[in-house]
Amino acid sequence: MVWQKEYKIGYSDFFIRQKIVLIFFAILFIILSLKLFYLQIIKGGFYNDISEQQRIYSTDEMAPRGIIYADDDSVMAENAFIYSILFYPFDQGGLPAEKTILELNAILKKDIRPYLEESIRNGKIVKIADKLSMEEMFKIQEKKMKLNGITLVAEPVRVYKFPQANSHVFGYLGEINKNELMSGSFSGYKSGDYIGKAGIESVYDKYLRGVNGGWQLEVNAKGVQTKAFKYIKPEIGNSAYLTISPRLQKAAYEALAKSSTGRGAAIVIDVKTGAIKALVSAPSYDSNKVKAEDFALYLKDKNLPLYNRATQALYAPGSVFKIIAFAAAVESDFDIYETKYCRGYFDLGDKRYLCWYKPGHGRVNLMEALAQSCNVYFYNLALRLGVDKLDEFSWKFRLGEQTGIDLPNEKRGFVPTAEWKKSKEKVPWLQGDTVNFGIGQGALWVTPLQMAAMMSAVANRGTHYKPYVVNKIVSLEGEQIYQHSVETNGSVTLKSRTWDLLHQALIDTVEKGTARGAFFPNIKIAGKTGTAQNPQGNDHAWFVSFAPADDPEIAIAVIVENGGGGSANAVPIGRKIYEAYFFEGEYKIKSGD
Amino acid sequence: MANRNNFVSRFLLNVDLPLIISIIALLAIGFVAIYSATGESSIYGRYTFVQAAAVILGSFFMLILANFNYKNFVDWDKLVYILSLLLLISVLIFGTTIKGTKGWFDFGIAYFQPVEIAKIMYILVLSSFLTKTVKEINKPQFIFFAFLILAGHLVLIMMQPDFSSTLSYFPITIILLFMAGVEIFYLFAIVLFALIAVGIPLMTTFFKLQNAVVEKSSVFVKILFSLQSGLTWIYLIIASLILLFLIWWFCKKLRIRVSILYPAILCLAILFGCIASISVERSLKDYQRKRLIVFLDPKIDQKDSGYNIIQSKIAIGSGGFLGKGFKKGTQTQLGFLPERYTDFIFSVIGEEGGWLFSQLTILFYFIFLWRALIIGQNARDPYGSFVATGIATMFGFYAFINIGMVMGIMPVTGVPLLFLSYGGSSIVSSLCAVGILCSIHIRRHTHYKIS
Repeated sequence: MVWQKEYKIGYSDFFIRQKIVLIFFAILFIILSLKLFYLQIIKGGFYNDISEQQRIYSTDEMAPRGIIYADDDSVMAENAFIYSILFYPFDQGGLPAEKTILELNAILKKDIRPYLEESIRNGKIVKIADKLSMEEMFKIQEKKMKLNGITLVAEPVRVYKFPQANSHVFGYLGEINKNELMSGSFSGYKSGDYIGKAGIESVYDKYLRGVNGGWQLEVNAKGVQTKAFKYIKPEIGNSAYLTISPRLQKAAYEALAKSSTGRGAAIVIDVKTGAIKALVSAPSYDSNKVKAEDFALYLKDKNLPLYNRATQALYAPGSVFKIIAFAAAVESDFDIYETKYCRGYFDLGDKRYLCWYKPGHGRVNLMEALAQSCNVYFYNLALRLGVDKLDEFSWKFRLGEQTGIDLPNEKRGFVPTAEWKKSKEKVPWLQGDTVNFGIGQGALWVTPLQMAAMMSAVANRGTHYKPYVVNKIVSLEGEQIYQHSVETNGSVTLKSRTWDLLHQALIDTVEKGTARGAFFPNIKIAGKTGTAQNPQGNDHAWFVSFAPADDPEIAIAVIVENGGGGSANAVPIGRKIYEAYFFEGEYKIKSGD
Repeated sequence: MANRNNFVSRFLLNVDLPLIISIIALLAIGFVAIYSATGESSIYGRYTFVQAAAVILGSFFMLILANFNYKNFVDWDKLVYILSLLLLISVLIFGTTIKGTKGWFDFGIAYFQPVEIAKIMYILVLSSFLTKTVKEINKPQFIFFAFLILAGHLVLIMMQPDFSSTLSYFPITIILLFMAGVEIFYLFAIVLFALIAVGIPLMTTFFKLQNAVVEKSSVFVKILFSLQSGLTWIYLIIASLILLFLIWWFCKKLRIRVSILYPAILCLAILFGCIASISVERSLKDYQRKRLIVFLDPKIDQKDSGYNIIQSKIAIGSGGFLGKGFKKGTQTQLGFLPERYTDFIFSVIGEEGGWLFSQLTILFYFIFLWRALIIGQNARDPYGSFVATGIATMFGFYAFINIGMVMGIMPVTGVPLLFLSYGGSSIVSSLCAVGILCSIHIRRHTHYKIS
């Protein structure tokens, strides 16, 4: 068993050294086992992911986006398709039959053999023909069964109807950029995807986008595609049903475009739900033309066509604000029959504040002052109410707050307060500021949408319905995925008498006041004009209204940017919208006129 | 016939069963892995065939060597050594060059790599030398002589040049010297010498590659980087020499008696190491250098040498517990894994067989080593012990370097995993080594006849 004879003496020494060697190797092998355990058991999932990643390659076939419908179920946005032919060389056993190639050559009017040979040689999917004509496409579709390894691929292109009028509602599509990908709000998106960049395309992107399809291929170390696992058919996105009426959109946009400056916004809102029936901003852009070169033009345009004036532009409300001052006065139990004499100006200290009507309105009471939009009366009223009361009622009508519409980047506007002026501008609030506030000037900023929402609350006597554009979203299978439920942003509670008087005064404004241009003999319209002074240029023309006055259905806000006087420039646009609403649709009280 | 029967039955009766079972298991696992990695197509069919032929041929040699009394090698040691040198010389003259190494004999149907068998002959020769000088082994001239035997092989192998094959010579020599009773201090000096000889050219290359990325590297690398100029090296060497003498002088003052021999030997080791490094620097080929560097940081060379390690780690890691299944490993089948039926065979086992089979492989390998060392313990004479330990060391280091390499804890060197990797020469020579082990084992009880 052990060393024999003369060697016996050294054996015990040797034995110890042998043990050391054995232990040494045991340690080496334990190190190997630990590393093996670490790689396979602890990091196994991690390495498995990497190995899957490097062997699976997916071709991307873009899915068409969901259809967008108007309130009358007419299509507003859909998809067109560009067809191309792909050849995939897997499990083919060489080139297709000679006859097939000749047939295809005849249809496509070119020799496809080099493409096929290249495909088989490199083991890669090859595009044989691009941008097929309809005729070519149908011919190939007919023979599809016989054409082994050949697939027709449809690449969707978004097509919008009436793109100019509707672009600010739709928005447009663009490739997702790096910042968006990094932002974290686009999980599940990947570079190269198209996303909505504005409008409802952006807000409802996750509903509207389909599920991209394509081939899942296995590639080997040389990058050769060895086989195709499966083909996933691209899945169309869900359909969106809007509250938008194309007829009103068209009427409003055309009227705005023909207005004195061609710039402005108009909103039509359903006073019983907050549904937006029309929302236009002029000038506009073409949602179908959003390539880089088109964009360069839009960005160069001084009229800012990409800017949604209805929700993003801030204007002084001007005389439209008198509605709020009026409500505040009646609610504060001021005597509505108390009169003031308007000479055409109002002196406060050494400063003179003008009425828009230079000769002066003479003696007017509250009702007349609103109908005639007499500044002098409201200067007095504002001084009597004070800035805090004006603030309180501005907030009651949700000025300075977002309406919460389902369109992106809505502005909130601003309501000035005495404290704000003191802390921000380091000067105390002066009486002159109150006077200005009373006629909707100064640091008061509103969006046209806010004015429409305010008018809607006036019409329905106090409920602030949250405006919305998308009514419901329906999947391809017809399943309703989303349904807007009417929401309120609280309400403004005023005495019934206040509402009655306010409605009457607004009716008077249309019937015998500054908004006579919107008068229809058979529909009662209640409205208010405004002419907002603007230090940068011409006055902005406002017209806000609702109708029918005795049972309100819709409220409208119109602004013509730098358009001049409200009566002359904004009221006719409102009139066009009412004509479209009451006389060209099914709501016909009396035909003719 | 009777004689023949006696020959086999004697083998079967006396053989160490765990040893044989572990070898059969390793060969089987390797066979399946090679089959999976090379596929069934006609071009690759020959791999499994060649491997099978090599196993049969190797088993035949194993039986012959098992029957042959290993004691004869002691008497013929000079002849064995000369024969090994002749083998290595003739391959330099008649050999075929594959991948820049002139290390193969082309026999038409198969290649034969003589360095595989030369290694075993070296173990036989060195063991014989150590047995004869075991009582005086601590005399420096004997250690020197042992290294002279080593040098004969190394020089010839480096002329091919085959850097990876020389690697296993060092552990075999060191461990056998250790077994023979050489003082640890001398072994330390030898290891120091080798580290310096290989370390300097390695670092130089490392710095060349790191040049671009050094700014981002750690402080440690930056300090190393400052060493790249030749002058710094010289200062460093002089400083370490002076330091050594100071320590020795200090010890002397403290009346700790330390022979002047110790510092002198260390100094010589450092100096010779530096000198040797110059020749190593010249003989190292770029790709070999790169491989060693890549081991330090695979990301330096992601496309080339680093790629192999990264893909191998992915293959092993993705196997998980049970593996992807026979012929279902994506890394193996789609060609991501390099050298998959030779050096990286363990990665194939790892990917397709999972942790279960890879750990089993390591376990069988360890059983084999353990039995080989036990055979060494039970041998009837020091020669048998040395030979068995030497063979165990060879297999152990091959396995550690190879499996360590595929898992990224050892540098990439072209070292096969004996018994598993494809390769006729390594299979035949491995089985020859097993034959010698069996010969030692079978004769463990035999008493010397006084001749």
